[in-house]
Amino acid sequence: MTSVVSARGVSKHFGAVRAVDEVSFEIEQGKILGLIGPNGAGKTTLLKAVLGLTDCDGELSVLGLDPFKQRKELLKNICFIADVAVLPRWIKVTQLLEFVESVHPNFSRKRAEGFLSQTKVRSDAKVRELSKGMVVQLHLSIIMAIDAKLLVLDEPTLGLDIIFRKEFYSNLLNDYFDEKRTILITTHQVEEIENLLTDIMFINDGKILLDSPMEAIADSYVELTTSGEDAIKARGLGPIAEHEMFGKSVLLFEGVSRENLGGLGELRTPSVADLFVAKVKGARK
Amino acid sequence: MIGNQLALIKRELWEHRSIYVTPVAVASIVTLGSLAMLMLAGGFAKELDIAIFGATNIAGDAERQVVLTGYFIGTSGVFLLAATVLTVFYTLDSLYAERRDKSILFWRSMPVTDAEAVIAKLVTAIVVIPLVTVAVVIVTHLVNLVITSIWFSVKGADAGHLIWGSVPLLDNWTAALIVTLASAIWMSPFVGWFLFVSSVTKRSPLLMAFMPLVLIPLLELIFFRSSLFADAVFGRNGMIPLFRGMDMEAFFDEESMHISEGAVSLLAHLDVVRFLTSPSMWGGVIVCALFVMAAIYLRRYRDES
Repeated sequence: MTSVVSARGVSKHFGAVRAVDEVSFEIEQGKILGLIGPNGAGKTTLLKAVLGLTDCDGELSVLGLDPFKQRKELLKNICFIADVAVLPRWIKVTQLLEFVESVHPNFSRKRAEGFLSQTKVRSDAKVRELSKGMVVQLHLSIIMAIDAKLLVLDEPTLGLDIIFRKEFYSNLLNDYFDEKRTILITTHQVEEIENLLTDIMFINDGKILLDSPMEAIADSYVELTTSGEDAIKARGLGPIAEHEMFGKSVLLFEGVSRENLGGLGELRTPSVADLFVAKVKGARK
Repeated sequence: MIGNQLALIKRELWEHRSIYVTPVAVASIVTLGSLAMLMLAGGFAKELDIAIFGATNIAGDAERQVVLTGYFIGTSGVFLLAATVLTVFYTLDSLYAERRDKSILFWRSMPVTDAEAVIAKLVTAIVVIPLVTVAVVIVTHLVNLVITSIWFSVKGADAGHLIWGSVPLLDNWTAALIVTLASAIWMSPFVGWFLFVSSVTKRSPLLMAFMPLVLIPLLELIFFRSSLFADAVFGRNGMIPLFRGMDMEAFFDEESMHISEGAVSLLAHLDVVRFLTSPSMWGGVIVCALFVMAAIYLRRYRDES
């Protein structure tokens, strides 16, 4: 597998605050990695370092390039949507397409116009005249028309209604993603994207709490819903987290086989959101 | 690099429509003013109204040349003044607006370096605005001269001789181009300063740019009893080393209307070599370059989130 992003001991300090703290990871080609973390965890700083928008300590290589020093070269093969509001409001859709076509060697205007024709975005409209959802559609149409190797999405659907959010990810998967591309995505609405992720990474206080393929989550983690005597027995097996739901105890285990827990209650693979909460709370203890 | 620059400059023209709207607005005012003068003059006796514009030879060739040359200098001056005000507002807005509306994150997601982006704004201020301005000046002059020619012809005068053959138009337009571009280069330390303020300030770039220009001379005067800063900054505009010794009073003195036909070329009064070899000009360019480098550095290193 080709490594698209390779980080070795990457740190970024803002004064005394360690936004990213000695982080090491690899992202391989063809993966959709979800980077999940609470506000202020260091997600955006890490993404900015990957995009070459901020410098950092340690070794960071993206598509074999130093992102900060070789940003222009890098941005020919990497795209990002940092936030829904970043398209300039004064620009016309046609001007935007013309500009990207002029500066981006891997952009296909025809492809972008094809995507836009499936939306209600008028080509003579200015960005300020478009709804928030339409601005995202426009941005996504541009991004999907760029033949990039890595796509970075930082809260791409923030503030959008559920229909636009579903459409966004559906377009991304059906019209864009293939085994040669890699997507790195952060979002708070983790439950909406967990089905499309191939890998997941949790970050908190600048440190990585979990870095795992999605299919390994089911092997490593199990959630047990139980009560009474069984709950007491289960607690003896060292759950990493526990909460109450409808009068029952919900315990989360890491590295405990399902056979050991089978007779104690109902088993299921934890959701990413539950796992995330357990990991973050565990790290704070 | 060149392709990116052209795209970035085009982008500046899309965003800042005032770059061409302002000179066109000035052109409209100048043209309307000329029309109003013609109509006003038409209300006088035939001899008088033609004489006002030197259309007959009552006034003589030399006077007519002075009137037309004065018209060239006067109207070009109005455009140059408008271009100066435009450049101040453009440069102060250029790196500030993209941060205010957060579009900087989009622009920086394109394969364009920060240096390319800032240099495109510098080129727009120092080259594009002067070129657009001079282009509009030339069109305005042509339109006004055509209108005046028609008016003269209606009055029975020979416009071809009296207007078009009277002054060296190409020379004067070339002079307008040189003066406008040289003024932009001469005043480039201010362009650099405004770009720098635009990249650094979080609010009110106009206030932030002019406050030091007012406060520093005041402090210098209070503490050092000198005015070196004020002389260098506010006196710079009048010190452009471009003109040969030209006695403007004699030029426009009706009593000693002595100018011969060949001497009315404005180009002949410009000394481009003196300008290009002036240490003050190059010193200014270096100051501009330092400010621009600081603006590029800030755009590249500052975290906008």
